[in-house]
Amino acid sequence: MDFTYSPDQQLLRKEIVAFAKAKLNAGVIERDRNQVFPRELWKECGTMGLPGLPVPEEYGGSGLDPLSTAMALEALGYGCTDHGFVFSLCAHIMASVVSICRFGNEEQKRRFLPGLSDGTLVGVNGMTEPGTGSDPFAMRARAVKDGSGWRINGTKIFISNAPEAQVVIVFAVTDPATRFHGGVTAFLLERATPGVSVGNKIEKMGLRTSPFSELVFEDVRVPDEAVLGGVGGGAGVFTHSMDWERICLFAAHVGQMERLMERAIDYARTREAGGRKIGKYQAVAHKIADMKVRLEAARLLTYQSASRLEKTRSVSMDAAMTKLFVSESLVQTAADTLQIFGGYGYTVEYEVERALRDAFGAPIYSGTSEVQRNIIASWLGL
Amino acid sequence: MDDIQSTVKAYILEQFLPDANPEELTESTPLIAGGILDSLATVRLVMFLEEHFGIEVQAHEVSADNLDTLERIAKLIRSKKSAGSGGR
Repeated sequence: MDFTYSPDQQLLRKEIVAFAKAKLNAGVIERDRNQVFPRELWKECGTMGLPGLPVPEEYGGSGLDPLSTAMALEALGYGCTDHGFVFSLCAHIMASVVSICRFGNEEQKRRFLPGLSDGTLVGVNGMTEPGTGSDPFAMRARAVKDGSGWRINGTKIFISNAPEAQVVIVFAVTDPATRFHGGVTAFLLERATPGVSVGNKIEKMGLRTSPFSELVFEDVRVPDEAVLGGVGGGAGVFTHSMDWERICLFAAHVGQMERLMERAIDYARTREAGGRKIGKYQAVAHKIADMKVRLEAARLLTYQSASRLEKTRSVSMDAAMTKLFVSESLVQTAADTLQIFGGYGYTVEYEVERALRDAFGAPIYSGTSEVQRNIIASWLGL
Repeated sequence: MDDIQSTVKAYILEQFLPDANPEELTESTPLIAGGILDSLATVRLVMFLEEHFGIEVQAHEVSADNLDTLERIAKLIRSKKSAGSGGR
């Protein structure tokens, strides 16, 4: 399979990297320290078409295919050192935008996609509940038929972007007897709908510029038109969203790995110890050589998986393998970069410690490494 | 048991019940209620149905109503194929 960039893809990468370096990186140390989400930069990203990368142009998006979307997000991950912000943008695309593109009816697409694409709106997806992280369909949130609509009650936790969101996709049980098998439904609604409230922001180890919180639904009344993907279709909506997330969100991490590797190379070629550049010591050089191997393998796996998105629905194992490999590679690369930087890497100023703190989330969100191995094993008939 | 049911039965036996007696998997054996198809297995089965029979199963159709027995699965596939709108 040939993944050589087309001229359009080359130009897109160049523009996104330049944009990210020029517009998104200033002040990131302070934002991370104070847990500030840069809403104004989200709007700037809208002018670049980033929040709506895979949205068809007729709905105000950039109209990119999945592979080009992955390449664009890799460029963003390479150029932008605010990993929390990149995570927020990716979560917005994977958790809400792609679901509406795939499962929304015409009215839902016209109503929400333009604003979600131009940086006006932030979208979230409410699935996880306390105690159901790796077993999401054990959820307790319920939606009960109420006349010509539904009444939703429940509490969602660890919802990325919730404090900033205007658009919500929430999953709730509509048939407790069947749950995954036709008993969970996705609903698309405005965050301002009466009864929807946002809990306190939750402080995190990393990705501190990406806000997340509880999302509470108390007797939230929505019309039948709020159903996304059909009553009982929640499993399909969620699975599709996860396939995209495990590939395209992690494409951004591939870009981050490349940037970390380049920083490690630069440092190893300039820093001296014992009268030699530290890159001349095998102990350092081999770490960087392994970074290169992980980077190229991660990139190929990501591109191959992205090229299969929307061409076949049998992409779940590809997505699991991509998510597993990229996330664990990112942690290793960030840890090795910090080790190569030594004491300086441990300081906030050099921005390597932040990269490692941010990386540690990757093997957890979007399904833990353990869950990904379970998925892969299942596809192998085990 | 018709051709569709036999094909799906062979897939389920091979993938999810390698040690089972084939005669125990009948057209009315509860696949979901009986714990044979968990969430991951259901996704895999749906992918198989789509690729093998050239149909597309919509999100809201991934349900016990359509998938809990070989009989229901065959009915879903037949309705898709006769409607002629399920192909990609």
